[in-house]
Amino acid sequence: MLNACTAHAIDGISIQNLSEDDYIGDVPKVLTVSRLAQSKEDSPSAVTIIDRKTIRASGIVDIPELLRLVPGFYVGKNAGFIYNSNHAVSYHGMTSAYTGAMQVLINGRSVYSPLYGGVQWSELPITVDGIDRIEITRGPNAASYGANSFLGVISIITKDAKDLTGSSVRLTHGNGRNEALYRYSGNLNNDALNDVNFRVSVGYREDNGLDNRNDYKRTNILNFQADKRIDANNEFNIELGLTNGDRADGEAAKDFVLFVPRMRDISSNYQLIRWRHNVSEDSDFSLQAYHSSNNTDDNFTSTNLRANARRLTLERALRRGTSLATAQAQANAFAASLRDDQISLNNDIQLDRYDIEAQHTFSAANNLRIVWGGNLRLDTTYAPYWLGTENTDHFNLQRVFGHAEWRLNDQFLVNMGSMVEHNSFSGTDISPRASFNMKLAPKHTVRFGVSSATRTPNYIEEKYNDATYIPRRPITNPPRSYLFKRYADSGNLTPERILSKEIGYLGQIGNFNIDARLFDDDIRNILISKDVTISVPPNIVSLNIPKTYINGGSAKVRGFETQVKFQLLNTTQLMANFSHVDISSDNALALPNGFTKSAPRNTFSALITHQFDHNWDASYAYYQTGSVEALGDGQPVALNRRQDVWIARKFNLNRVNAELSMAVENLFDENYQEFALYNTVGRRALVNLNLNF
Amino acid sequence: MNCYKDKNKWLKVLAHVVLIFSLSATKFANAYTGVTILMSSQTPANTQFVDNFKVNLAYSKNNGLKVNVVVMQESDKFEVAENSELVIALGVKALEAASMLKHTTPVLGIYTPLPVFNQILAISKRELGNFSAIVLDQPFWRQLTLIKTVLPEAKKVGVLLGSASSQYLDLLRDEADQLGLTLIDENVNNDTELIPNLKKLLESSEAMLAIPDRSIYSRETAESILLTSYRHQKPMFGYSQSYVKAGALASVYSSTKQIAKQAAEIAIKSQTASNQLPSPQIPKYFSVAVNLQVARSLNIAIADEDAIYKKMLTLENSEIVENEEKKH
Repeated sequence: MLNACTAHAIDGISIQNLSEDDYIGDVPKVLTVSRLAQSKEDSPSAVTIIDRKTIRASGIVDIPELLRLVPGFYVGKNAGFIYNSNHAVSYHGMTSAYTGAMQVLINGRSVYSPLYGGVQWSELPITVDGIDRIEITRGPNAASYGANSFLGVISIITKDAKDLTGSSVRLTHGNGRNEALYRYSGNLNNDALNDVNFRVSVGYREDNGLDNRNDYKRTNILNFQADKRIDANNEFNIELGLTNGDRADGEAAKDFVLFVPRMRDISSNYQLIRWRHNVSEDSDFSLQAYHSSNNTDDNFTSTNLRANARRLTLERALRRGTSLATAQAQANAFAASLRDDQISLNNDIQLDRYDIEAQHTFSAANNLRIVWGGNLRLDTTYAPYWLGTENTDHFNLQRVFGHAEWRLNDQFLVNMGSMVEHNSFSGTDISPRASFNMKLAPKHTVRFGVSSATRTPNYIEEKYNDATYIPRRPITNPPRSYLFKRYADSGNLTPERILSKEIGYLGQIGNFNIDARLFDDDIRNILISKDVTISVPPNIVSLNIPKTYINGGSAKVRGFETQVKFQLLNTTQLMANFSHVDISSDNALALPNGFTKSAPRNTFSALITHQFDHNWDASYAYYQTGSVEALGDGQPVALNRRQDVWIARKFNLNRVNAELSMAVENLFDENYQEFALYNTVGRRALVNLNLNF
Repeated sequence: MNCYKDKNKWLKVLAHVVLIFSLSATKFANAYTGVTILMSSQTPANTQFVDNFKVNLAYSKNNGLKVNVVVMQESDKFEVAENSELVIALGVKALEAASMLKHTTPVLGIYTPLPVFNQILAISKRELGNFSAIVLDQPFWRQLTLIKTVLPEAKKVGVLLGSASSQYLDLLRDEADQLGLTLIDENVNNDTELIPNLKKLLESSEAMLAIPDRSIYSRETAESILLTSYRHQKPMFGYSQSYVKAGALASVYSSTKQIAKQAAEIAIKSQTASNQLPSPQIPKYFSVAVNLQVARSLNIAIADEDAIYKKMLTLENSEIVENEEKKH
């Protein structure tokens, strides 16, 4: 027998640095049950994903423009002229500058405005460059995404903090557009398991908007994202964002009564914290809380009221057939009865959202996956001009949701889910959904789905109660005034309700990937505005007849849409989208004007991308949108065609990976109208330089 | 069997070592009467090995070998009846320690990566006849066969290679060629290259095969690697059961039970001639691990683990038949 020493003497030999632990040691579960998304084939709804590659190859610089590549979507540039000259994005109709029928999420944070239900796209604290992918659910999906998931859901997922390290600079210059972005990603310590991965971006963007429109935008962006893993089962994510800038607002030609063309300050910020906890092998829990704030400073002096009053009275009198002399006398008398030339208006808006959501995802059995959770939200709205009060209004929302994916066998799959929502405006609503997915053959799936959702009225619909008092002469006690009032909402609206039925097909035939869908949607309780009589005290003279929102009629939206992806060559790809939408109603009078034409009947878009070699890339895009009649500020516009080209060259400068690209939007400068006749879209060229080091 | 041919080829990394040492192997024909299992600590894998090893001995009705367990952690020194016992070293530390024993003591390494075994062999100047191992590495042809079985239509397999694994590139290419697959590789020279190069690879390949290399695959990088692959909707094939649990689509692996069985077979076979341990071996018995949830999320129709395993065996056999036919 001999004694032998342990290995200390030859410790140095582990040059390879490998041990059994590298092979058989535990690895923390990464793709946990909640991280694994349903495949498109298993999904209860039609899902379109715009991935990083497509985003880059499209050459698009404004996020909502990307949605032109989704079947059934309508995108209108710089719609609206009061408070909002952002893109109007709609799906299957109900297009308006304040389109509010879609849920829009950024990393799970809901960004639609409680005031009018839509999104101030240009104020989002992200850039196209920071997006990893956009997942679009076509059709209602309240059971999974909650409030406002009425016509569709747009879920934007930004690049992961871990994805890149180092610095990146992006500079864009083009017709009426300048943009600069700096991003740094890194980690805070080297003990990788306790690493904090973070990313910080600062950016500046200015955009002159469309010709002949007062829609200049200047935006500063700052955002920060950090992931901290505590141990194998716990991770924290933090996100902070800040934007501020200026927005040109007001159209002299369109809104001449009170609002002057002016510049208003905007600012928004948000803070989010998320805890992801791996409960067990097949069970995950996450808790997310965030606050977001959107503000605009917009205290200004009105137009020259005396001049307006004279002009308006004269026009009206002449329309009635009054003789010129009498009309002029009436106009002068009215103008003279105003005490002041101008009044001051307070259109400050401050919106805050506090939201907390818990979610538990687990596999109840090998073939049964369940996600359920709850959500509390408080929206506070200070909008004195719109709500007619200096008070901040509170909107509470509570919801519980559940969704089960039950795999009957390799061929059949059932999805069932429901959401119960209670809110301050419309009480309690239930939105159930179900789908049945059938794999006919390995690459052919057919889906039958029924889904319902409600759209809670927004503040404009429920509580729009503006009241502009214009003092009159002679000065008395109590003072006498004219009242200009656009809306007198009395509230108590019933939410709009959609029931969507669909048959979907997902398949692969040779090099073709096909996603097709036939849909038949019923929308009820559609909100419509109509004139309302109000009573005013004797010292007040009402200048106009205000409107109010009521629940009106119903409509049917039927159609077909498809997305086809075709791999022509290894280096060449084609993506084509087509949709046909038909909106009909038994009683169009009970609907907003133009409702049945609020979606283009036929829409077509295509994107061809080609890689010449390792360094050169190019794309060509074609967009054709049928005639459409947008609601509200919109106007009927004719069919339009647009062609975009993009070309990029990659190169290396020492240790810098660079890419220089150029995009031309509307290559043939077809001066077409989008959303309204006052929006003429011309050609725009952009040069972009991207450096990573 | 053809697979032996393959196996030998796969082990050609060892070939030069085998040549040098097998010629000079000492010819003492000592029988051993016991087995000492040496481990650095009582990890679950180690204790399971001991249990299974004993079960296998009992099953083979071999009552001649006494099993003795030594845990290094418990004392700085350990005792082995050097000439009358087979030392089975569990893990790298235990093998390093065992390599310091008298050179006539037969040592069989378990749970040791192949490159590490080679190093210990070289540094300790031991001879292969009584210094051998069942290495942890699954042969590439087995891993590639798995990819072929699970994704019959996939042609392009991507591998990330680092400082430790780049030496296998030619071998990997060869093996892939034989199976009608194209291998696409990217080198990772430092941490900052990892994710960008992985992304490059994901763009051009249909599946990823992970090759053990600490500079690439570690507990710390697992999250980034698996998430990035998943975002590209490309399946990752791992080299271990735990990587599959973490989020790889599938892997071949050998369970403790299977390794213990193979070790018991060697222990019994070499009992009468302790200086004639077989050459270092790859794991003979293996299983297939599949992450069904990942498969579903990637919309990959996947058979169950058993069915894949059986199909792999038939694939291997059909290739044997093909090769046999060529010979005739």
